[in-house]
Amino acid sequence: MAAPEVHHLFHHPIADHSFSADKQTLAVARDTSVELYGRTGNGFKLKDELKGHDKLVTSVDIAPNSGRIVTCSQDRNALVWEPSPTGYKPTLVLLRINRAATFVRWSPSEMKFAVGSGARVIAICYFEEENDWWVSKHIKKPIRSTITTVAWHPNSVLLAAGSTDAHARVFSSFIKGVDSRPDPGVWGERLPFNTVCGEYLNNSAGWVHAVSFSPSGDALAFASHDSSITVVYPNGADQPPRAVLSINTQLLPFMSLIWNGESEIIAAGYDCEAFRFQGNESGWQLTGSLESKGRAGPEREESAFNMFKQMDLKGKTKDDTKLTTVHQNTISTIRVYEGSGGAVRKFSTTGVDGRIVIWNA
Amino acid sequence: MNIIQQHSDASLAENWRTINIDLLDPESSSNFDTTTLHPAFAAVSADEARGIGQQVRQLLRGGDAEGALRGSLEMVPYGGDASAKEIHLQTVTEVLQSIKASEMTPMLQRIFQSEGGSEALDVLMKYLYKGMASSATHKTPSRGSTLTPQSTGFSQMGGRPGAGNESSGAAMSVLLSWHEKVVEVAGLGCINRSMTDWRKV
Repeated sequence: MAAPEVHHLFHHPIADHSFSADKQTLAVARDTSVELYGRTGNGFKLKDELKGHDKLVTSVDIAPNSGRIVTCSQDRNALVWEPSPTGYKPTLVLLRINRAATFVRWSPSEMKFAVGSGARVIAICYFEEENDWWVSKHIKKPIRSTITTVAWHPNSVLLAAGSTDAHARVFSSFIKGVDSRPDPGVWGERLPFNTVCGEYLNNSAGWVHAVSFSPSGDALAFASHDSSITVVYPNGADQPPRAVLSINTQLLPFMSLIWNGESEIIAAGYDCEAFRFQGNESGWQLTGSLESKGRAGPEREESAFNMFKQMDLKGKTKDDTKLTTVHQNTISTIRVYEGSGGAVRKFSTTGVDGRIVIWNA
Repeated sequence: MNIIQQHSDASLAENWRTINIDLLDPESSSNFDTTTLHPAFAAVSADEARGIGQQVRQLLRGGDAEGALRGSLEMVPYGGDASAKEIHLQTVTEVLQSIKASEMTPMLQRIFQSEGGSEALDVLMKYLYKGMASSATHKTPSRGSTLTPQSTGFSQMGGRPGAGNESSGAAMSVLLSWHEKVVEVAGLGCINRSMTDWRKV
């Protein structure tokens, strides 16, 4: 397996990152702005800075086809940045929330996006031609706490959301005039706006950090703060799910996860490394780390002089201030970098250490 | 009797400044219903908990320490009241104290690898923390009141293990060595689950 591509951008946490479709532009959320990096040879160079929020930017997403960037922030606003010859132009979105916006993602159709918030609502935002405005509709009903994460179903109507009330839920975000009527599937048949298609909780009830639909959209996985991931196989409207499989791990909690095909999940979080899970409807298990062990830097030949110098200075001979993992702090976002038909060839991770790493799946 | 007098009487009677307005707002986080975070439990009385304790002790006397430990971790009175839970805590602590240090790790590994073993160790972790909490708070009233006339917030101060009586210090050291062994086998995830889980022991 080829070594991962590591770029250390700055010494500051990266809340979220997103690549453009051609992988030439990387957007990272850093503090109150979003920095755009362009690929130059082997590295990334700062190209542009999107300044528009006045509090911490919590999430950023680039729409692959239109190139529009959506950002959201703790200042309770979301901005859509339209590319133009003279740079990106921000448009404010009417979110109508009174708490921080926590997470934003474009729907696969790119006609709308979902913003999770601390106001216990998910704002589904779409463009209203007649008013020339991005407006929002709220999904409110059974949500009882902050929404930490959202993920779209491939049909752009169903939306999964994870919350600090420990539930992962699947909603319909069907908006007349924007969406075409979805085909009935395992999540339900009639799907008017704010239909709750599923509400899941695992036994140890940690709050949910990440949700994701499988590539087909017929299974849902979520990671929660009880160091577990849970995979749900639904069974049509108003039926109990076919299987809800919870995998408790010995590790620290996962912050983010992606599917690789229908039978593999890659998750990463507080352990600073990515882990692979494999399985199907009859059972899932943790199969190992994606970190190639023993790669942690060649052991330098220490001279006796150096050894005693180290012992004198630090009271020990080995420098143990570095983790053996590539990331030196919590990984907060993991995203598909390159793949086709649901299978992932490469994925990217960012975290609190200010690094972006591109891995081979 | 003027209008001001009447008005202040009314407000004194209602004592409105002491009302916690957060509780009146159905949307407030103070009104979060935590029973939605766990399945419904069957009620367990103190007598039933005592009965489970008897069964577990029977196993222990028969020399089946592992069976006793598993049994005590599987028959948890989640739906019981405080006294039933206290009784079961005593049962678990007794089992833990009767197992030799050299047997801990192999026994934990066997339990962890068996069906449902990971959950059993999560439960054990909850009891370890509960055990530590209760042996730390038991003796606070007598020592705490003589040393510190006002409450300073350091409620455990008087109850440090080993400060009061020897036996609670010994019990604490048993719990600590179990804690170390459980983390070795079930990892840090086990501690996380014992904190997030709403099925309280």
